[in-house]
Amino acid sequence: MNAILEALDRYAHWAARWPVLAALAPFVPVVALWWGVAAAGVFPRAFFPAPPDVLQSFLTLTYKGILPAYLEDSIGRLAAGVSVGILLGIPLGILVGLSGVARKALWPVLLFFQAIGDIAWLPLLLIWFGFGLGTMTFVIVYTVIFPVVINTALGVRSIPPELVRAAQSLGAPRWRILTDVILPGALPNIMTGLRNGLGYGWRALIAAEIIVGTSGIGFLMFDARRAGSAVEIVLGMIVLGLLWYIVDAWILAPIERATGQRWGLVTRA
Amino acid sequence: MKSLTLRNLHKTYFDPAVGTRVTAIQDVSLEIGPGEFVAVVGPAGCGKSTILNMVAGFLPATRGDIIVGDRPVKGPGRDRGVVFQNFALLPWKTVIDNVGFGLKMRGIAKPERDRIAMEFLELAGLSHAAERYPNELSGGMQQRAGVVRALANEPDVLLMDEPFASVDAQTRMTLQEELMRIWGERRHTVLFITHDVGEAVFLADRVVVLSKGHVLREIPITIPRPRG
Amino acid sequence: MSHSAAPIEMGQGPGAARHLRQAATFVAPLVVLFLCWPLLVSAFGVDARVFPGVKAVFAAAVESVSDGSLLAHVAASLGRVAAGTLLAVVVAVPLGVAMGVNAGVSAFLTPLFRFFSVLAGIAWIPIATLWFGYGFGAITFVIFNAVFFIVAYNTLLGVTAIPMRLRHAAASLGASRLAMVTEVLLPGALPNIVTGIRTGLGFAWRGLIAAEMIATNVGLGYMLFVARDFYRTEVIVLGMIVIGILWLLIDRLILAPLERATIERWGVVQRA
Ligand SMILES: Nc1ncnc2c1ncn2[C@@H]1O[C@H](COP(=O)(O)OP(=O)(O)O)[C@@H](O)[C@H]1O
Ligand SMILES: [Mg+2]
Repeated sequence: MNAILEALDRYAHWAARWPVLAALAPFVPVVALWWGVAAAGVFPRAFFPAPPDVLQSFLTLTYKGILPAYLEDSIGRLAAGVSVGILLGIPLGILVGLSGVARKALWPVLLFFQAIGDIAWLPLLLIWFGFGLGTMTFVIVYTVIFPVVINTALGVRSIPPELVRAAQSLGAPRWRILTDVILPGALPNIMTGLRNGLGYGWRALIAAEIIVGTSGIGFLMFDARRAGSAVEIVLGMIVLGLLWYIVDAWILAPIERATGQRWGLVTRA
Repeated sequence: MKSLTLRNLHKTYFDPAVGTRVTAIQDVSLEIGPGEFVAVVGPAGCGKSTILNMVAGFLPATRGDIIVGDRPVKGPGRDRGVVFQNFALLPWKTVIDNVGFGLKMRGIAKPERDRIAMEFLELAGLSHAAERYPNELSGGMQQRAGVVRALANEPDVLLMDEPFASVDAQTRMTLQEELMRIWGERRHTVLFITHDVGEAVFLADRVVVLSKGHVLREIPITIPRPRG
Repeated sequence: MSHSAAPIEMGQGPGAARHLRQAATFVAPLVVLFLCWPLLVSAFGVDARVFPGVKAVFAAAVESVSDGSLLAHVAASLGRVAAGTLLAVVVAVPLGVAMGVNAGVSAFLTPLFRFFSVLAGIAWIPIATLWFGYGFGAITFVIFNAVFFIVAYNTLLGVTAIPMRLRHAAASLGASRLAMVTEVLLPGALPNIVTGIRTGLGFAWRGLIAAEMIATNVGLGYMLFVARDFYRTEVIVLGMIVIGILWLLIDRLILAPLERATIERWGVVQRA
């Protein structure tokens, strides 16, 4: 018992010193366990593939160009939807944040339409746009826009009035107040909104790709489901997880570190 | 420097909690000459900030006039520099960019405004912190930056609302002395708000005692400078 | 990841009158929207196969209520959410607390739970339907893991974030192991747990609708998807309204107040 506790203590210290390694290390025993269970043949191979099967399928699909093409499709759709969502969401959020009338009129409407949820729109969208890019883009824009609008508005409202006053008394015109006070002041919240929006957005994309089904990672997974093969499904899930990790660790987190945290506006949990 | 005149100033707020109007300022008149340092003292809630916010142009007066030099006040403007109790530095700008903000608004190019901002930072002993963010500075240093940010914009009148109330006693004394040194060199017209009578007497040429929204007394301070 | 609470200043005044006024202010814009709908539909001559009129939706509502089908769909959806969520919370919270107690265990498990909570929900639909077939099992599984990983991860974070001095203080006051859990760790992590439940349920609810479209023959998602096959937009829109109202009720009347109560009352967690 004491030996175990000691080992755990040592692991905690080691993890604190090597955070990158410590983020990867836990996956080693998990993969090993997965491999062991698969090798023991408890479940049929088609239901429960082993790591080498997934690697094999990764190599084959990459070699055939299917995986890169699907990945490109998914990322392209997500990027298009997210960009439009941000471009519409931030100005709308600033309006809602700045104007009491706009807030009272729009806030309940925003909450209601957010509550309907992107995926419930799919049947109607399929009637409107058919099985195409229109449906996908609409769903992602719809998903991203609400968290962005709501958090931008909260961010705008969280800016201390003195900051606006200080800028005014230093001679800043209205558009300068917007660019130099309102936007940077709301930025940490905008980032939170974006993070939430992305979290919902890529799930919506997967659902849309499964249901609309022409290409993309979601389609890859569901196509494999129809064929009764778990290998590509697991591959798809791993790709999705890694993709999110890359977006989060290499894009979102650095932006947050360079802005809100440096400025002392965000307390890191 | 210009004079600052308040004439028969009134302010009533609408209090939504009660649903009635409350009078915060009642018939306040005040004449501050060019280069004069006037302190307004009074207990919390007597209307000091209300007066300053109207002079700064943040709040409209219900009745009465505010005149800087010969121009009536219509809104916030760079002729009146404001120093806030909680500093109000823009957290996303470095200290030097905060100090140069007013200059930027006037369209002065970056190298020139950095040069001017640096001069003011040296005046406040802050040149070593120029590239830091406000969040990375102590309260005293932040307020030094707040003061020179207002000064760097060359205002005619300096408005200060309990500027030293949120720093520790030791730092407050240092800041008061520094303010006296800088004011001694430049002789701005100053409207200084405080609830601390000692501070008012140490700094001002004249102390205005405010009570429940009207002027109770005006006391000239004749103690020769430098005061200790 | 969390929703953001929605402060919105409204009429003030004492007690019930204030609540009533708040509710009225909230509903008013929605009522206006509702009144504009028939005007827009008739003004633009929108085809009923593109977007339904109010009358058609109302008729669909009456019909599906009287034949009991709407109730059956709602009951199926809510039942699945309740079952999956309950099961997930019951397993995830004790597990999260147990994992958070030891620094080594939590350092080891944090990356794993993070990875799986990122993946939670919809991405599991294909494998869930492969493993459990189309039906109750697959859908409950999707809901379960949408909630489970996020709640366990948040509980773990919550326990880890409790300052060591609080634990030492409790220990020096003679707290037993059990008391440590019930008096310090659980309450300390509660704001995180509630936030986790709220986020997880958000993903679960969407996952439910998606899963029902694919993998079952009863439930709100199924109701929408079948209606699409017959171009019955009035049924689709009815379903969307029901989904919106249900989630609004769950989120605003249960989850948001719960989250606000734990976070604001104790102020343990600093919300970004
Ligand atoms: N925005 C406002 N709405 C209603 N009443 C206010 C508002 N601002 C200040 N007051 C009231 O006006 C009075 C003076 O406030 P203030 O000028 O802030 O006082 P001081 O700065 O001297 O502490 C106080 O009674 C305060 O409650
Ligand atoms: Mg005040």
